[in-house]
Amino acid sequence: MNSGLLKLAVVGSRSSYGRLAGIAGGVAVGVCLLLLLWGGANGLSARDDRGAWLRETGRPSVAAPLTTDDPSASGPATPVPLTADTALMEANPVEVFRDQLINRRDFASLGSTTVKIPGIGSPPAPGQYYASPALQRLIESTPRDELGDRFGQFAGTIDDAALPGPDSLIVVTGATEAELRQSGRASLVSDFTTNPYGGSAAAYSTVLSIGAIAVFFPVLLLISIVTGLGAAQRRERFATLRLIGASPQVVSRIAAVETAVPSLVGAVMGVVLAVALRPAAAQIPVNGIRMFAADLTIGWAAAAAVIAVVVAASALVAAHRTARAGIGPLGVTRAMHERTPTMWRSVPLLAGLASMITAVLMIRVMEVRLPWLEFPLLILGFLLIIVGIVVIGPWLTRLVSGVGLRQARSAAGVIAASRIQRAPVATFRSVSGLVIAVFVVSVFAGGSSIIESTEAPPARPGLLQPTSLYATVGTGHTPGQVAEAARQAKELPGIRSATVGYGPAVLSGPDSGPEIYLRAADAPGLGFEDIPAAQIVAVDTSFLWTAQPLALNPAPAANLGRMVPIVMVLGTDGTPEAMDRARTALNRSGITAIPATSPLDLRLQSSTRLIQGLAVLAYLGMFVAIAIAGLSLAVATASAVLDRKRVLGLMRLMGMPVSVLRRIITREAAVPLLTVLLLSVGLGFLVAWLMVTFIDDTYRVTWPAPGYFMALGLSLLLALGAVTATFSLVRGNTAMTATRFE
Amino acid sequence: MSTNDTTAPILSARGLHHSFRHTAALRGIDLDVHAGEVLAVMGPSGSGKSTLLHCLAGVLVPDGGSVTYRPAGRSPLETSALGEPKRARLRLTDFGFVFQFGQLLPELTAVDNVSLPLLLAGTRRAEALRRSSDLLARLGMDGMGAKLPGELSGGQAQRVAVARAMVASPAVLFADEPTGSLDSLASENVLTLMLELVRETGTTVVMITHDARTAAYADREVIVRDGGIGAGYRVSA
Repeated sequence: MNSGLLKLAVVGSRSSYGRLAGIAGGVAVGVCLLLLLWGGANGLSARDDRGAWLRETGRPSVAAPLTTDDPSASGPATPVPLTADTALMEANPVEVFRDQLINRRDFASLGSTTVKIPGIGSPPAPGQYYASPALQRLIESTPRDELGDRFGQFAGTIDDAALPGPDSLIVVTGATEAELRQSGRASLVSDFTTNPYGGSAAAYSTVLSIGAIAVFFPVLLLISIVTGLGAAQRRERFATLRLIGASPQVVSRIAAVETAVPSLVGAVMGVVLAVALRPAAAQIPVNGIRMFAADLTIGWAAAAAVIAVVVAASALVAAHRTARAGIGPLGVTRAMHERTPTMWRSVPLLAGLASMITAVLMIRVMEVRLPWLEFPLLILGFLLIIVGIVVIGPWLTRLVSGVGLRQARSAAGVIAASRIQRAPVATFRSVSGLVIAVFVVSVFAGGSSIIESTEAPPARPGLLQPTSLYATVGTGHTPGQVAEAARQAKELPGIRSATVGYGPAVLSGPDSGPEIYLRAADAPGLGFEDIPAAQIVAVDTSFLWTAQPLALNPAPAANLGRMVPIVMVLGTDGTPEAMDRARTALNRSGITAIPATSPLDLRLQSSTRLIQGLAVLAYLGMFVAIAIAGLSLAVATASAVLDRKRVLGLMRLMGMPVSVLRRIITREAAVPLLTVLLLSVGLGFLVAWLMVTFIDDTYRVTWPAPGYFMALGLSLLLALGAVTATFSLVRGNTAMTATRFE
Repeated sequence: MSTNDTTAPILSARGLHHSFRHTAALRGIDLDVHAGEVLAVMGPSGSGKSTLLHCLAGVLVPDGGSVTYRPAGRSPLETSALGEPKRARLRLTDFGFVFQFGQLLPELTAVDNVSLPLLLAGTRRAEALRRSSDLLARLGMDGMGAKLPGELSGGQAQRVAVARAMVASPAVLFADEPTGSLDSLASENVLTLMLELVRETGTTVVMITHDARTAAYADREVIVRDGGIGAGYRVSA
């Protein structure tokens, strides 16, 4: 290509430089976000990979041989002996400090053990512990009776290679074989799994894929919009080139190069920006913990691939747009009429809905398990719905603007509605980013709402109080030992009651009864109000975990002296310090079969882990999607003004006030935005419901958190801001001195 | 129509100066335009004709000198002393504009393009559409009101532009090379229709042209050269 022609096309005027800077800047922002999000997705995977060993459950540490006489009955359980290549492990599900879950693993091993624990090596000796750096900092900054006393003596920190992130709270403690065998829940491990998700792998990948699609889509829209900046001025320059002899092919090539050059500059800037922002991006907590900055690295090859794809795609699109414009020596030779959108545009959206509904019906109604089909159907459906909203938007917008045109009474109304009628695709493109953002935010808000519904019920008589903790008592502990532990606990600051419950046998044993017996005098300490007139009362054992209030029953015949202590409940003043002090006291008392548990711990349980991941993506998605969409709307609106500066300037010359031009710009953004906004919100919640039903049909989508309405309001404010920001552009670019009419 | 020099001019320019950065476009022009006359402004490219028109029409505020507009039945206005909102209102209510090309909004039908000045002036849409359709019919565009500008020929588009300029019954019509982009036949056609209409309504016309044949339609012509009125300008009878 002639270098002189190329120079003429790429440079030449201040507005050219402005347009090139706009394209480069927009692409830089888009590529930077793309790389950070890609890195974030990689980081989540790397994090889960490093934490995979925590999912190891081992194999049973007891064997129950079949009796020879009756094959259907099992004999008494016998311990599987500990060997050099095995270790006893107990995974503590509810080691809690304040409102944070601590991943705790207790190990017992032979001195000659060959088992290696990730990040540590050989298991710690009894009474010692290894902690993640974040937990160790927490232990050192907290009174020992609230946390440190639970673990023993510090032996060292766990290496980063075995930590999901720098904020991970993990502790590995050493214990004796007898201590671990006491609860009957310890297992034998030889090595550790590398599968980070277990049975939820497919569901988790599905959620990640959907989150990635939802967040990447607005980024792609932004890049697409900025590369079309100043199309009208470019067409004028290309017409000049045609006049001096350039062929249509040469003009198309120039258009491609002209867009590729700033795109390349922007993409490289985006990579540099992403590298520079990586440490800051790593500070964003996901699931409560930050990432290591290195987790966000995607590698130079991937960065180069992003640059190549962005540059090639923008160049191809520019060449295609220019060829389609039919630019001749005297300007655009054929009018660029958009094809009138028809109701066929609803097909992708309907297909997407059908795909998602089919996946849900298969798994929930027909109960067919075909993961290779159901998960792709769900992802494909989501993708189709996003594309479908963009595709159906112009059709709906045109329908509404048609009504608007018939009803229009003002010049602004007629001009805006007419433009939407003639160019619904171009008009809708301006707001498509924001419409998609609102859809994404609605999906995530719907998904997040189920977390609220799994929270612990409020305090009520007949329920274990949220300010209480309980621990079941292990075998072989005398009533005296348990009473002494209760007495010591009750002396701690913030502990209001210490109640011991009794039964015929320990709760985990085969002879355990259905009820917990206690002294009626202790019942108020558990939150009961209607207490029967008896010395001894009983309540169903489900009292410890149920959400349905239970009543006390009189048990006059019961004799606590003939029973064994089966549970201890500590009531606190509800302060975090008292709760942790009570938890530490119970866990180090040596009498408990399971760690101390509070009703509030339920919300920290791993059953909601998947959905919490979704919620985190939701917040990231909300931020990214809304920010990009606002930027896209501002760029698209500015571009629409620049492309029509001649005709809008002429309208001003004829006496049209600037205020009317402002109203035109506002209506052109408001009509498509409001038309599709309701659809986006409705579809967002429908898709959220389909997704959570697909993952687990016990989840329920409820009203979104106030944050959703704030996000929605922010979207509308952003739209208003983006449109308002172009007002000065309208005034400047349509000024009589900026336009020549002769 | 001959100029009536005894009546006060509808537009008067006195000592007009205007520069674009370091380039002087007008160098002390004095000019009177009388009510009902058709004035042709001629001159070579870059002589300052368009700048003069823009100053007379209140599009530009001259760096020096004054422009006075004397509407019938109202007090005279020194337009060069008005702020942009008042000048914009004046252009909307009292002036009409026709340019060489690119003046119709491409998304609006012909009749909607014509009705815009009426809508901007607050006329009800139904009434604006009726008056616009009548005027289009008067200019030989009957039945073409629903067409988009892209579907019209150059001559037809210029007639729509003339209709839009005249629909609000302006006192003065400013035309900048109104037939510059048309062939001679279309040019004659548009000029004939435009002048018939302005003479019927008594509208004053200030028309810039390079073309002597176009200028021949005017009552009077002035020649602008190097930012001043040429010494030998002709006043036709």
